[in-house]
Amino acid sequence: MKRLFLAAMAGGAAMSAVPALAQDAACTADPVTLRILRTPGNYPYPAAMEAWQKEHPCVTFEVNEVPFAQLGDTIAVQAASDDPPDILVYDGPNTQSYAKAGILLPVTDYLPEGWDDDILPATKAEHSYEGEVYSPGIEQTTVAMYYNKSLTDAAGITPPQTLDEAWTWPEALEAFKACQQGEAGAPSVWGLGPTRFGNGQPGLVYQDLIYQRSNGDPEADPESSAYKTFWGMAPDGSTVEGYLDTPEAIEALTFYRALFNEEGVAPKVGIPNAFFDGKACFYIDTPAAGSALLKEPVIEWGITPMPYFKSPVVHTGSTTIGVTARSKNPEIAALFAVDMSWGELAYMNVSQRGNLPTLKSLFDRFPVYQDYPMKVFVDQLESWGQPRPPSPYFAQYDRIVTDAIRSVAFGGDPEEAMQNAEREVARAMRR
Amino acid sequence: MTAIDRQMTAPNLARRPDRTARQRRDTRTAFAFLAPFLLLLLVFQYLPLAMMAKNAFMDYSLLNPGAAKFVGLLNFEDMLHFDDARESLAATFLFALVVVLIVIPLGFVLALFLNSNLPARGVVRTIIMLPVVTSAVVVATMWNFLLDPSNGLINGVISLLGLPRQPFLTSPNQALIMISVMTAWQQVGFAAILFLGGLQGVPKELAEAARIDGATRWQVLWNITVPLLSRTTLFVVVIMTVFSLQAFAPAFLMTDGGPQDSTNLIVYHVYKMAFVMQNAGYASALSVVLLLIVLGISLLQMWLLRAKWNY
Repeated sequence: MKRLFLAAMAGGAAMSAVPALAQDAACTADPVTLRILRTPGNYPYPAAMEAWQKEHPCVTFEVNEVPFAQLGDTIAVQAASDDPPDILVYDGPNTQSYAKAGILLPVTDYLPEGWDDDILPATKAEHSYEGEVYSPGIEQTTVAMYYNKSLTDAAGITPPQTLDEAWTWPEALEAFKACQQGEAGAPSVWGLGPTRFGNGQPGLVYQDLIYQRSNGDPEADPESSAYKTFWGMAPDGSTVEGYLDTPEAIEALTFYRALFNEEGVAPKVGIPNAFFDGKACFYIDTPAAGSALLKEPVIEWGITPMPYFKSPVVHTGSTTIGVTARSKNPEIAALFAVDMSWGELAYMNVSQRGNLPTLKSLFDRFPVYQDYPMKVFVDQLESWGQPRPPSPYFAQYDRIVTDAIRSVAFGGDPEEAMQNAEREVARAMRR
Repeated sequence: MTAIDRQMTAPNLARRPDRTARQRRDTRTAFAFLAPFLLLLLVFQYLPLAMMAKNAFMDYSLLNPGAAKFVGLLNFEDMLHFDDARESLAATFLFALVVVLIVIPLGFVLALFLNSNLPARGVVRTIIMLPVVTSAVVVATMWNFLLDPSNGLINGVISLLGLPRQPFLTSPNQALIMISVMTAWQQVGFAAILFLGGLQGVPKELAEAARIDGATRWQVLWNITVPLLSRTTLFVVVIMTVFSLQAFAPAFLMTDGGPQDSTNLIVYHVYKMAFVMQNAGYASALSVVLLLIVLGISLLQMWLLRAKWNY
């Protein structure tokens, strides 16, 4: 026991000494501690941080982690404190909210030469506010539709593998119905499995707003309902009036409601691991699911591009890195955030988790994304990717619209739900 | 006025005698012992209450509290202008009513059982107390599985009986009732223990005298036990009402306030307004109104259910 205690003491001392040794080796200036708030298992990762520390030996890190579900609340509380963290790893679509509230420091002046040409346009749009860039971005995600090949083969279904051949939603519904096993509404194998995000219930803006957006047209007259349907909010983020309850949106949502009710091919509540346990033919998820299946192929699987009505669209976005405006070390914090997002360090961070990079120049370094099935994500990102409606009120929009879409999935009236949502978002924007 | 009450108030009528040094020292000692608690109460209870009252007249977000601005009664006007506060309060009152209507009679019946000489009292006592001491998260997760619209245990039984499956938590007509039933299931044990304490304090002589005079068991229960338990009943009703009006976990863990805001209980609505919608001023105004409502309801209940008998 005594030996175990001594070993633990020695181990603890060694662990705490690692950053100190790096710091003591060549530190000739005042030591700086950068405090980082992130979600568990998220970047910046130790390898990239240690590599950066070699160039900045006076800097040490203090990392605090909170679950993703509590991240927004924690940032809301800590950002207002007298001593906020220096670095925030937060949900990217909240960039404009945080920028407007004065939480984030603009990093435009710290961005390296060539960043503008290399960054994905959707990422830049999401992370910018009033002409300034507030986050360089590290990784990017989007969703595609996975399928259980054994189940689709058994049903005689061959899902498309390229964007050109992507299904429309009515075609996808036929596939769901053909593949589903058991009574509609309570089958043993679902046509379309539940999401793994949130509490597993449908309606999330990230995943489900694309139903109605894809029934719009980005090239239509800006005054037309088709144009407004596609954007889901005025492109300048000023209003949602007439953007959510258009005839096209209602038509798409009526189809969406049928998936969970009349057709009974999708569950209304979460079923943990349904797709991976062979309880769902199709399943919508990010590249993270593909990365997990590549490492441990528990089922035979494939990926098909997201179905659509008229205009293919997928949402982009991920967690991202930013610097707090009231950081006590803004210069070094901004340098750290930008360095973590550029070049080799960006590659080290992105490759750890298996999502997509935000820099086009890094795509070639991820062989897994060069070929089917994971190539579908890259193709979608480049051809169909759109940020969720960027706005300083995105957090409020996200919650209100998610509740509205969820109520439709539970059988509510699409028009009433979207009219209420417009009214509630307008109320939030009033302030 | 009882004899004890008269004794308690009598000294106040006479001139208060000079306090001795011993009494003054005792008072100082009492304050010294109470000071830490009073300080904590002041810092963590009354100071936040005062800040909440002040914030109810401000417009600000938690992300940027420095930019708060005074808006007068705007937050209270919004409560009248928009439907959310009304709908949330209505859902909360209905929730509280259902919980109290289930918990009070059921808790009383269970307490009668536990107070009797019937067998298996120990087992029943353990069974009814288990939900009370179980974490709200565990209870919510368990009921989520039970009430699953497709594969839940309850729907399994319903379909075995040849009846149509019920949506439960995904139906705006059923979700509130379901979380009320779940909360009542969790709280009934606590009510039963409180009633049991009251029952054990009722003098047995009264029931025995009534029985000798020819009263039936039912007459003893209705005319002696129930009236003498009025103080306990008042306490349980007030406690259960306040618990229910302050309920947060069912909406947070099971329904997210939906579907269609049907389970958007007021405390959850306050949380959502402050932390998600970043409208902390409005959330403070809602809290002030809730505080006044809870206070008013408690006072009303205490007046309506005031004890008419003492023993």
